[in-house]
Amino acid sequence: MRALSFTFMQQALVACLLIAAVAPLVGTFIVQRGQSLVGDGMGHVAFAGVGLAFLVGVHPIVGALTLTVLAGLTLYRLQRGGLGGDLALALIFYGGIALGFLFASRSESGPTTVLGLLFGSPLNLSWGQVVTIAALAVLIVLVVAALYGPLVAMAFDEPAARVSGVPTDGLVLALTMLIALVVVGGMSTIDPLLVSAMMVVPVAAAAQVASSYRGTLVGASAIGAFSAVTGLLTAFYADLTPGSTIVLTAIGVYGLLNVVRMAGTRLGARTT
Amino acid sequence: MSGVTPSSRAVLQFEQVTFGYGRIPVLREVSLSVREREFVAIVGANGSGKSTLMQLGLGLLRPTHGTVRLFGQDVPAFRDWGKVGYVPQRAVAGAALPISVEEVVRTGLAGRLGLLRRPGRPERDRIEHVLDLLGLAGVRRRRVTLLSGGQQQRALIARALVTAPRLLVLDEPTTGVDAQARSVLRESLEHLVHAEGVAVVYVSHDPEGFAGLADRVLEVRAGRVVDAGVHDHPHLEDEHLEFRGPATHEEEG
Repeated sequence: MRALSFTFMQQALVACLLIAAVAPLVGTFIVQRGQSLVGDGMGHVAFAGVGLAFLVGVHPIVGALTLTVLAGLTLYRLQRGGLGGDLALALIFYGGIALGFLFASRSESGPTTVLGLLFGSPLNLSWGQVVTIAALAVLIVLVVAALYGPLVAMAFDEPAARVSGVPTDGLVLALTMLIALVVVGGMSTIDPLLVSAMMVVPVAAAAQVASSYRGTLVGASAIGAFSAVTGLLTAFYADLTPGSTIVLTAIGVYGLLNVVRMAGTRLGARTT
Repeated sequence: MSGVTPSSRAVLQFEQVTFGYGRIPVLREVSLSVREREFVAIVGANGSGKSTLMQLGLGLLRPTHGTVRLFGQDVPAFRDWGKVGYVPQRAVAGAALPISVEEVVRTGLAGRLGLLRRPGRPERDRIEHVLDLLGLAGVRRRRVTLLSGGQQQRALIARALVTAPRLLVLDEPTTGVDAQARSVLRESLEHLVHAEGVAVVYVSHDPEGFAGLADRVLEVRAGRVVDAGVHDHPHLEDEHLEFRGPATHEEEG
């Protein structure tokens, strides 16, 4: 395949495959908890983090990781402090945009450069960055594997999980940190805003045909990986933006599986 | 009938418990006690505070004043959560993603297993036992939201029972459940109380669900808990009602 003869495409493929496969692992828990937009909020904070990095002269990843982790802690405190509905998330979301533009406008590079980095492209990665993304992906898989049972219990029914002795406060915090890691990991590959979509859309797609939580988790990861490969190759041959084609592929898979599910339901209704 | 004796120990105790949401008082100076093997029904109008009462009992809320004890220990210090099973109201309805019946039951073990540990032979045997007990073995791999309301409720009860608790708390267990499923639910509860000796606190506005099963019926009314009678177990009335505080005075007065 001609596309894979280029080093930049090999690097992009590995990075996108890893991030798109692990993002839904975290996504299953946030979707079940009714917080599908939390990744989007974190993405906006990453924007502020990149702006801050430009302002103080550190690596953008350091700025983004620092602010997303801080935002994660703040979100946790606000939600546990009784801020109802999605208000806590809205505060983080708008705060992120406001700070991002503030930092970017004060930096020498200006908002356009910051936005350019925020909507990063996987086609500009180095092998060093790919290794960093791989390490991040391994860390996410290990944490999800270690916390899987308690996370499922909490995501499905938090009060009952608390009564059964699950330390839900600590788990919410751990989950928030995982979201921050996925957003930062996806920042330079798919871009932080679209990686939020990869936490949610493959999960929604897998849920159309799965009958178990584990099945949804594994299926969503596979759909994420498939979307990354298909989207990246489509972008290469059609000269399109990889982040967009990856997410649109995942949405296409959702549409297809939705049709499959509806057809299955109708067939089942006819035969009974 | 349910095996409560004068020497039965209290599994759940409220001592002069007061609670409010902000400045809005919900419960005032509530004192009550539930004993081993006892079936206590708690009734009250919507918004009366009966679910709040149970959330206080389970440590999901903290009282403004007073003390709540589980198995003789103050709730904030209580750690042996495997002794307590909880069936919240309509929990399955909120399931956004597919989850199988067996997975729902398995989540009941999460607190006991902690991090990294997978269910071993004893835990797997217990899962089998509760699935059989609640008549769910045949649908264990089915997506729980595709089951009937009664089966969903039984899946939640199976989850609560998987740690072999000594106290089972059910919050409106018959909401959205048809008559046939209610009958199956009653049979399951009857077995639990009589064969397994589990103490049950049954919170409901529907007396049909616990008629003939409850040793005592308490009503939450105007922030107080008042005795609403002993159903089908008149012999228990004098010996075992450990109902104290303002509620009793209110009833007497």
